[in-house]
Amino acid sequence: MPFPVSSSLLDAIVLAIVSREDTYGYRITQDVRQVMDISESTLYPVLRRLLKNGCLSTHDQAVEGRIRRYYRITPLGRMRLAEALKDWAMYRDSIEKVFFGG
Amino acid sequence: MDKKDFFAELRRALSGLPSEERDNVLKYYEDYFLDAEGESDAEIIRGLGDPQKIAADILKEYRDLQPHSWQKNTAPPPRRWKGISPWLLLVLVVFAIPIGIPLVIGLGATLLGILISIIAFIVAIVIVAFAVPAALAITGIALLGLSFCIWGDPASALMMVGGGFVCLALGGLAGLLLVKLCLLFVPPLFRWFVALLRWPIDKLRVAFRRG
Repeated sequence: MPFPVSSSLLDAIVLAIVSREDTYGYRITQDVRQVMDISESTLYPVLRRLLKNGCLSTHDQAVEGRIRRYYRITPLGRMRLAEALKDWAMYRDSIEKVFFGG
Repeated sequence: MDKKDFFAELRRALSGLPSEERDNVLKYYEDYFLDAEGESDAEIIRGLGDPQKIAADILKEYRDLQPHSWQKNTAPPPRRWKGISPWLLLVLVVFAIPIGIPLVIGLGATLLGILISIIAFIVAIVIVAFAVPAALAITGIALLGLSFCIWGDPASALMMVGGGFVCLALGGLAGLLLVKLCLLFVPPLFRWFVALLRWPIDKLRVAFRRG
């Protein structure tokens, strides 16, 4: 992907992924890497930031004889995601207007 | 580097973090290794990169998110006299009026008196300074004019003409000197005087802006 990734876009992508179902670090990393070229260690700071902002919460769950940490979106996170989706639609429309004409 | 080295190095690089934060990071990467089932440890470590770099990014994020507590500690202490209630201030002002108004008038009058005397002094100096060369020049001209009327003797008349020229020349020189001195000293003197007057006003303005 030739376009630089802003941290707000990365936040929104992570929120969108976690909003579908509670999930864990490795899965989130793989899902993000499907759509953008980030390094595999980029995600922890993003998750931590979203936790501190109150957009995500964590809970530990027993899986296959061990404890795995899951991430869940909070109501605040859903609000942030809705805002981000609206902003993205506006951004996309204005860019496409320039690219392809209105 | 194997998995054990990776975690040892990560733990060491994160030693500046509170233990809870560090445990969260280690838990995240322990999960990560266990969940990356299809990959070997070496592949995972290659994908994650240098533990030092991982730790540096986390520490940077940690500092960026910490500014609240940090700012609280370094905020300047509140000004002491900010605590005076507006009512107390009002009472103080009311009580100050009977003392304050005469005081201000007296102070103003004193300042005005000093100002007027300074101006008078300057005017006197200027008059004296101008009067000397002017008097010399006038004397010279008068001597030139009168010398032939008063004295019948040509020698005496010539001597008086000479004296007149000398006076005229001295007057001209003194005048030039005066002009030169004025050019040199009056503008800086004036500036100094203006600065002297502005100083208390500036002080007051700064004090009011802070208040």
